[in-house]
Amino acid sequence: MPKLPPIAAGIAGLATLLTFSVAQAASVDTAHGEVEVPDAPERVVTLYEGALDAALAVEVTPVGAVTTRGGDGVARYIEAHLEGENRPAIVGVVREINLEAVLAERPDLILAAPQLSDEQYTLLSRIAPTVVPEARELAADNWKHEARLFGASLGREAALESAIDEVEARAAGLAEALAETGIDGSANLVRWMPQGPLVMSEALFTSGVLAAAGLPVDDAGLVNQRGVHSDPLSLENLSRLEGDWMFLATLNEEGDQALEAAKQSAAFARLPVVNKGQVIPVDGQLWTSANGPLAAQAILDDIESALLP
Amino acid sequence: MTLLVALLAAVAIASVMLGAGDVTPARALAVLLGRGDDEAAFVVGSLRAPRTLIGIVVGVSLGLAGALLQAVSRNPLAEPGLLGVSAGAAFAVGVALWLGASAATLRIAVGQLGALLGCVAVLGVVRLRGMGDDPVRLVLAGAAFSALLASLTSLLLLFDQRTADEIRFWVVGSLAGRHLEDLVAVLPSLAVALGIIAVIARPLAALALGERVASGLGHHPGRVRLLVILAVALLVGAATALAGPIAFVGLVVPFAARALAGPDIRRTLWLCLPLGPLMVLVADIVSRLVVAPSELPIGVLTALLGAPVLVAVVRARRLPTL
Amino acid sequence: MNGGTPSGYWHLTLGRASLLLERRALWVGALLLSALLPASLAYLVLGTERLPLAGLWPALQGSGDPFAAFMVQELRLPRLVAAWLSGAAFALAGCLMQTLARNRLATPGIIGIDNGATAFAVASIVGLGVSLAPPAMALAGGATAAAITFGLASGGDTRGYRFIVGGIGIGAVFGAVTQLRLAQVDIDSANAAYPWTVGTLNSRSPGAVTVLAAGLALGLPLALALGRSLAGLRFPDAVASGLGIPLKRRRLQVLTLAVLLTALAVALAGPVGMVGLIGPEIARSLSSPRGVPLVASALAGALVMVLADLVGRLLLAPIELPVGIVTAIVGGPWLLWILLRPSRSPV
Repeated sequence: MPKLPPIAAGIAGLATLLTFSVAQAASVDTAHGEVEVPDAPERVVTLYEGALDAALAVEVTPVGAVTTRGGDGVARYIEAHLEGENRPAIVGVVREINLEAVLAERPDLILAAPQLSDEQYTLLSRIAPTVVPEARELAADNWKHEARLFGASLGREAALESAIDEVEARAAGLAEALAETGIDGSANLVRWMPQGPLVMSEALFTSGVLAAAGLPVDDAGLVNQRGVHSDPLSLENLSRLEGDWMFLATLNEEGDQALEAAKQSAAFARLPVVNKGQVIPVDGQLWTSANGPLAAQAILDDIESALLP
Repeated sequence: MTLLVALLAAVAIASVMLGAGDVTPARALAVLLGRGDDEAAFVVGSLRAPRTLIGIVVGVSLGLAGALLQAVSRNPLAEPGLLGVSAGAAFAVGVALWLGASAATLRIAVGQLGALLGCVAVLGVVRLRGMGDDPVRLVLAGAAFSALLASLTSLLLLFDQRTADEIRFWVVGSLAGRHLEDLVAVLPSLAVALGIIAVIARPLAALALGERVASGLGHHPGRVRLLVILAVALLVGAATALAGPIAFVGLVVPFAARALAGPDIRRTLWLCLPLGPLMVLVADIVSRLVVAPSELPIGVLTALLGAPVLVAVVRARRLPTL
Repeated sequence: MNGGTPSGYWHLTLGRASLLLERRALWVGALLLSALLPASLAYLVLGTERLPLAGLWPALQGSGDPFAAFMVQELRLPRLVAAWLSGAAFALAGCLMQTLARNRLATPGIIGIDNGATAFAVASIVGLGVSLAPPAMALAGGATAAAITFGLASGGDTRGYRFIVGGIGIGAVFGAVTQLRLAQVDIDSANAAYPWTVGTLNSRSPGAVTVLAAGLALGLPLALALGRSLAGLRFPDAVASGLGIPLKRRRLQVLTLAVLLTALAVALAGPVGMVGLIGPEIARSLSSPRGVPLVASALAGALVMVLADLVGRLLLAPIELPVGIVTAIVGGPWLLWILLRPSRSPV
């Protein structure tokens, strides 16, 4: 038998091992084409918060995940769903994925973000089937496509579909409850900077959730197609924020502090929405950079506790 | 000089009259004449006027700081950032954000403190090695230290996504949203800095003749340098605390001033007074108009406007080789 | 020339061709190589998962544990090669630039290459509708920045202010544009662009490795061929001309070579500028002040890169520190110390 070159031998060995461990396989449609995934993956590594969210939503705890907050922290709303010792191992931070750590977990499925670089995809897909959602133009229901893809990869389409249905049903219910108490109208979602607010797009994940809950988001035409948020809106033009409600996203724990600081700005303080007391500070990390079924539920929690005492 | 001051006055008025909003120059003029409507009065009085004032202060600070630094380090390419002040301020802001502050609640003093500490650290290291009198080594040390601080800040951003998400907006700089109280808060350090400059202008000019000549004339080169560095730190700290790190002003303004003034440092400093604010205000006005109703960060515009000016000045004059 | 071989040199004859090899340079080279080898071995063996030394050879061959084989062959070995090549290229370019500018702080980065490369790479990641891969974009960015700088300096000489000032201006513009784009996009895209702003060896493009290898294979001999002139460039212009060195042409050649090597290295690893300062500094402290330590710089640069990345991988495992951050954090104070002590050669 001819001697195989070392690299080919290594790959062949690994591939053999993989083939023997993948009993039956399903096939999902990813950004890199069709990928065969195991039917019931047991060791899942997530390299994306949206994937971690979707996995936990269908009661799959990954064995490895990247952190998005300092140290070994994941986002606060996800913390709540991780119980006790059954935590995923850290395989790096979202900005630097540690491929050796991923390998060390011996995964049989890897769920990654749409922004994953091609080189990393090439290496990761040799370790385990890697699922990367297609990058789409920003739209409020992108999260559903992504979550469905992850759900299919995990072999739990039905569970994920029902998670999505739960979100939609709850949102509709909330919309009714809000309408009954007379709370309706449009909303603005902004991140406050002293030099002016960053107006978040209508096509954002959170905007979709708000709209489903009866408070459609208006971005005043300030955000273009591809953008997540506008450049800082000039303080002179704050009056363009005409929503009846304003959700003020802040990235630190003390939302009220941020509101007080914003009120220091005279331009902000004279907005009618401020005078009516209809400005609600919310958790920025959840409201502006998360997505997934659990995130949607957490946002609905926030809306409910803020508007329906 | 009078031409420049007149130009500055014109630009300042323009800064009050123009903006990203609906208050047209005509309405703004009406306010200035005392007959404006409420909306215009608010915009002009509470938004544009403070902004113009802050722009002037920032421009003066950065311009003077750059001229001083270039004079004392005998390096026409020295920028205030080289002393570790901008990197120090950025690092301090990063740490503050990491420890839980948010961009909205950041105290003005944080940036100032960071800038001062950065400068003190650079000075300390240089003096420790007994090299306090060598301007070249000072610049080298500042550059190395800035790189170190910048990488420490990058390290922070690696770990804490929240800090990364906040600091990227601070780091591009902006004149908007500051109150007059903030301006008042930095006035003491500015006053000290200006006082120092008034005192050392003459010795600094003598220093340009060479160390021995200066000593012979009765000045103390080492002490002069130290005071200059202190003044630079105060000025840049104030400017960075007010508006975030605005690059390039400290490089371009002295360059242009020197081109107009010649070798005398006193004339250069004098010319920096109108030129600095001129550059900052023009950049600020453009930042308001170019993506209205939003605004672009000013740091981008100072680079985009300053780079051609820099190149033009260099091409137009014969300058010695390195 | 009568008499024997000048002191400190070995005279090598191959038939009718002969070569003068400086003895000290050879010793320094051997020393650095002998440091590079264990460092490389350590690199392959250590990491998030530690491999026993005995297991290294089987892993390289492909026998034994397939996971170990994969880790060594697909993850660590390519990364090691990328470290060697980029470290050598950065350091070599740095050495050339420092000789040219007669300034120990000079790197091609001062003419805006790093910033240009980063700006283009970031643009391709955060989406400007360009379909070229980031490494290719980085190369294009570096080349663009260099071209604009050269163009702006036309008429002046390459060591004059026009050149450097133009470079600083271009660098600042690109830097500002990068900051702007990073502030305009969502945090996920900004995260994806992060490696290109600090310099990392994680998951590098094999294409960029190949191109850099080719570049070094051409560039190092070219640099060595310029060897005698390079030493002469350190003298004042009059002396150099008197030695028969065509100044303007030589300077342009050296500069082009330095820019090319840096652009290729940045296209591979991102802006790891510190290596271009630390590597040559190490080489200079070991070598004789007589010549320009080109090979030593390259070897020292490779060594620094390998060690820095190793530390970055081990220090806070499982979190990896990008190599650009490690070199800056370690290199900064070290460089300060080096620069601040009295030196033999002028700055």
